[in-house]
Amino acid sequence: MRYGHTEGHTDVCFDDAGSCIVTCGSDGDVRIWENLDDDDPKSINVGEKAYSCALKNGRLITAVSNNTVQIHTFPEGAPDGILTRFTMNANHVIFNSDGTKIAAGSSDFMVKVVEVTDSSKQKTFRGHDAPVLSLSFDPRDVYLASASCDGSVRVWKIADQTCTTSWPLLQKCNDVINAKSVCRLGWQPGSGKLLAIPVDKVVKLYRRETWDSEFDLSDTFITQPLNVVAWSPCGQYLAGGSVDGSIVVWNVETQECIERMKHEKKYTICGLAWHPKYRQIAYTDTEGNLGLLENIGDGNKPNDKVTSTVTKDYNDLFDGEDDDYLNGDMIEPQSSPKTGANEDDGDDDDLMPTSGHLRRAIVDDDDNSLDIGMIKANSNLLEKEDEDDDDDQTGGFPALPPSSTQQPFYDGPMPTPKQKPFQSGSTPAHLMHRFMVWNSVGIIRCYNDEQDNAIDIEFHDTSIHHATHLPNSLNHTMADLSTEAVLLACESTEELASKLHCIHFSSWDANKEWTVDMPKDEDIEAICLGQGWAACATSALLVRVFTVGGVQREIFSLPGPVVSMAGHGEQLMIIYHRGTGFDGDQCLGVQLMELGKKKKQILHGDPLSLTKKSYLVWVGFSAEGTPCYVDSEGIVRMLNRGLGNSWIPVCNTREHCKGKSDHYWVVGIHENPQQLRCIPCKGARFPPTLPRPAVAILSFKLPYCQVTTEKGQMEEQYWRSVVFHNHVDYLSKNGYEFDENAKSQSVKEQQELLMKLFALSCKLEREFRCVELADLMTQNVVNLAIKYASRSRRLNLAQRLSEMAVEKASELAAALEDEEEEEDFRKHLNAGYSNSTTEWSRPPVRNVQQDQEMEDAEETDAYEEVEETPEVHKQRPNPFSKGVTSAEVTTPKSVVIASSSQGRVNPFKVSSNKKDPVLPSTNVLDTMSKYSKKTSLSSSRAVNKQNPPVIKPLIPKPKTKQALAASFFQARTPNSSEKTVEEREEKAGNESHEVKVTAQENTENKRPKTGFQMWLEENRANILTDNPDLNEAEVIKEGMSRFRMLSSEERMVWTEKAKGGTVNDLTENKKRKHPATDEDDVKKNQEQKSEDSNLSKKPKPLDQSTNVRLSAFAFKQS
Amino acid sequence: MEPAEAEFLAEKELVTIVPNFSLDRIHLIGGDLGPFNPGLPVEVPVWLAINLKQRQKCRLIPPEWMDVEKLGEIRDQERKEDTFTLMPSPYYMELTKLLLNYASDNIPKADEIRTLVKDTWDTRIAKLRLSADSFVRQQEAHAKLDNLTLMEINTAGTFLTQALDHMYKLRTNLQPGESAHSQDF
Repeated sequence: MRYGHTEGHTDVCFDDAGSCIVTCGSDGDVRIWENLDDDDPKSINVGEKAYSCALKNGRLITAVSNNTVQIHTFPEGAPDGILTRFTMNANHVIFNSDGTKIAAGSSDFMVKVVEVTDSSKQKTFRGHDAPVLSLSFDPRDVYLASASCDGSVRVWKIADQTCTTSWPLLQKCNDVINAKSVCRLGWQPGSGKLLAIPVDKVVKLYRRETWDSEFDLSDTFITQPLNVVAWSPCGQYLAGGSVDGSIVVWNVETQECIERMKHEKKYTICGLAWHPKYRQIAYTDTEGNLGLLENIGDGNKPNDKVTSTVTKDYNDLFDGEDDDYLNGDMIEPQSSPKTGANEDDGDDDDLMPTSGHLRRAIVDDDDNSLDIGMIKANSNLLEKEDEDDDDDQTGGFPALPPSSTQQPFYDGPMPTPKQKPFQSGSTPAHLMHRFMVWNSVGIIRCYNDEQDNAIDIEFHDTSIHHATHLPNSLNHTMADLSTEAVLLACESTEELASKLHCIHFSSWDANKEWTVDMPKDEDIEAICLGQGWAACATSALLVRVFTVGGVQREIFSLPGPVVSMAGHGEQLMIIYHRGTGFDGDQCLGVQLMELGKKKKQILHGDPLSLTKKSYLVWVGFSAEGTPCYVDSEGIVRMLNRGLGNSWIPVCNTREHCKGKSDHYWVVGIHENPQQLRCIPCKGARFPPTLPRPAVAILSFKLPYCQVTTEKGQMEEQYWRSVVFHNHVDYLSKNGYEFDENAKSQSVKEQQELLMKLFALSCKLEREFRCVELADLMTQNVVNLAIKYASRSRRLNLAQRLSEMAVEKASELAAALEDEEEEEDFRKHLNAGYSNSTTEWSRPPVRNVQQDQEMEDAEETDAYEEVEETPEVHKQRPNPFSKGVTSAEVTTPKSVVIASSSQGRVNPFKVSSNKKDPVLPSTNVLDTMSKYSKKTSLSSSRAVNKQNPPVIKPLIPKPKTKQALAASFFQARTPNSSEKTVEEREEKAGNESHEVKVTAQENTENKRPKTGFQMWLEENRANILTDNPDLNEAEVIKEGMSRFRMLSSEERMVWTEKAKGGTVNDLTENKKRKHPATDEDDVKKNQEQKSEDSNLSKKPKPLDQSTNVRLSAFAFKQS
Repeated sequence: MEPAEAEFLAEKELVTIVPNFSLDRIHLIGGDLGPFNPGLPVEVPVWLAINLKQRQKCRLIPPEWMDVEKLGEIRDQERKEDTFTLMPSPYYMELTKLLLNYASDNIPKADEIRTLVKDTWDTRIAKLRLSADSFVRQQEAHAKLDNLTLMEINTAGTFLTQALDHMYKLRTNLQPGESAHSQDF
């Protein structure tokens, strides 16, 4: 099948000899096709629109939109006068059997019969009450049959223009365009014994003279009304085409179906014509495509078996009828090539290749969206067949008969032509002005017209390189562009080998260019550039890697023909054909490898998921280095490294299109910020070079369910955020630089969404769902969730959550222990080890603004709390988890756990805060959204001074910005001067000298001593005597391990001591603090800054304002 | 007000440019601009667009209305109607002048656009003169003109108000003159 005309009604016929196909269409052209592969058919313009055409004896008559029926000479196409006129356009014109008369049926309800040689001899047939759809001449020239929109099919006697009979067979309608079927009826050639009329899904056959319905031809294959019928020239076969694109051929004598074919796009068949000699049918559809169905009824014999197994219903139909068929008239056209072998041999090249029972399929809709690669693939395919054909013939057989008996009838899925290799971001190579590549670096355009054959290279960022203009003497067709180099490649010509040409403009020596010739018979099919390397895939199924300076590197084989390649950094992605796709699908595979120091393959030729019946149009990497690709249905997919390297659809560009034929041409993908950069193309798949297209930005959207609901929307946002931040993990794992800030931002965003979802589920009484959500949260947000649950009086939920939190904490700790026991120790040392179970009850999540304002209230609060329930805090880290034994809590291990995972608020504690009058059920979201808004709006410190949002039911309890220090387990002594303590903590937490130095209050800062510190002081001497050469850090480390060896009771004692001490003796504390803990801390912190940075609560925030720091911290993962 | 002042105000209008450099968001008194990504369209005020254009740091994307077809329609509409029609931008004249002066290479059919805008402008100024004329002739106390742009008001405003002042003086002088004359008797 191929493109023939613009969409709209079309008609088709063969010329008398069958040497060419003639089509007409709504573009007003009549095209004369030498064969189906004729890429340059002769076009005759006959008018604005051509409705119907007929051809006989060198005369081409057409019904055109100026309401006339015209004659043109054939094949010259010179106008030869007007035969007749109507007041509306004619819908169908036909010749009678000897070509002396034509009949035309028009939308003005009239039918006229005109003598071709003398247009004054006209006969008019009046009687139809609606536009006439179709006509058929009786081969004996006695009758004329016509079908009309009034629902009737009439038979007229030509001699006296009377209506002989009329059947009300069709559905009434008011115009041709509204007719269900154009009802192209047909009189049996030769005798004219039967009149075939397509009526709904059957073909009714009426007997001449009696006008009785003789029988119906039907088939289960036909599911939609039949539009057209056409008799074979021998009169033995009847073909029918339906509005859903099926074509069925019956043997009229036996009433059996000998051929079924489905139009691959299911367009309405509106024209059918039999080849005058061969068993071929040309068909056209309402989208303007022309197709050819060959070897009708071929392999009828073997087919018998095939179809009977497939469709048992036909068993009886096929019984023993084959001989009959083979002896039938149809043999005649078959054997004619034999008799006139010479003549036919010559013809055969022009004719459609006849061997092979094959239906051509090209996937294309219109001129613009037409995929060149496909056409090429197809024409190659055809060429090959032509060759086969010739072979057959040299073998001494005419093409048709042998193949017809050997070829089994096959009605299964049809193989899809493989898509041609392409460069991402390029427009088709046949265009005179085209983009060779448009990517995130720049644009390469290629001009190939009379005056000039040149390449224009332009960079988006002129600081990379200035724009360049190159002559394209080698006729390069492929290009890629990176920040280092331009890579060009051309296919081989007869004299010249295929060449790879690299312009390495970032080279510091004088030679900026190099060229490599491919071996003979090896054509470059796809190229790409990475960082420091270039690669090309060739027709020999090889991938050749070069350094950007031109040194040949790796070379490896591909499992199949390449489709496209993309490079980014050291990653190379190759898409290739894994096999043959069927029914319009492509069968592609993808390899992803890293060509860096450690060479490895990440995707080993996995199947590539494409939308049904689509092909690949773009493949590349996001700016952050995640592989992505786009298919012809506009679905953008991205590699989800977080889910075992699966592909996730992240955007459907077609959803953003206004018109059906509009497309977006993707040029780049960014994950942070989430941007899909593409060029909107109106009514096309790709943009023209002029006027210069502008880039548009689309947002991503994962295809989650029910995104109109709040829940679905947040779920989509959450998972999108997760997917689009996978690259951060990848980058960090591979030792690339990445934006810490963006990472914490994303974590915060995700946790906020989770919390919102949690609150929503709470509102909807979905407690189980709440727990599931909490499972996705980080430790500190779980604490917030517990708090929310308890405040909204969901004790059961709170209980479960706290159990889960403990479990999580222990898992986390276990993981941490495994990985970095060392670091754990140090960290605890820094923090002050003995710290305390009381810390458990401190909520680690802080809402900075609120915290600031609430400080006063909170302080009292905290004070009271600790005062009231000191033992409880000591014994029970979490008031909810009654199941957690005190022993467990007090073991050093569990302290470790607590430390790494941070403390937890007492969720039951109702704040006695007078400033906090809001009901517990108030939504946590209010605070959150305000909070995030503020932080984003301004990073100025002043924000801190602003009044807090009124609603605080969920405001984390007495948390201060310094709470980060809680991770270091500072004992929060019930202390009237808590504020100063906090200052201290901040200092520790910030790990910042500056803060320490500048903080005036430092001098008065009191640092509560932890049990471990006290113990350490007492035992330092011991340690030093044992290991005199230890430095400070090692002393502490050693101390740590020794302390751990103490029994839990002993440690408790120390802890108690520490508490008592701080509470009772502030001044002592103050004195001790400075020399010992403080300095230690600072030192330790400096030493271990790097290791701690990801564990500590706090990123180094020196250059940031407090607000930003704190907000970043608020949702920071432990 | 001077035309230069009107033009200054027009420079606050936003236009889209495609920068060829990379710059993070810039914070200005009038608001944040950017971020600038090479190849990615971004909206900036005209003054910045012109500045960048002069330094060849960007490519300008003309406003939607700066299109031969649309301006042709506007001109025809303006000619057809007796009253003033609504202009696509309150600073159409200033923007056309500025953008065509500095970025004509990025605007397709710049000359035609210049002509069309000039035609529209002439039509409107003629209407304005006509209405001022009838205003004075009929000695109206007040008149209302819709859809005038700042620049148009300024072209007519200064002269018209001064002229009205003079006329007022002349008219009021008429009476005291007469009375003085009578005193001579």
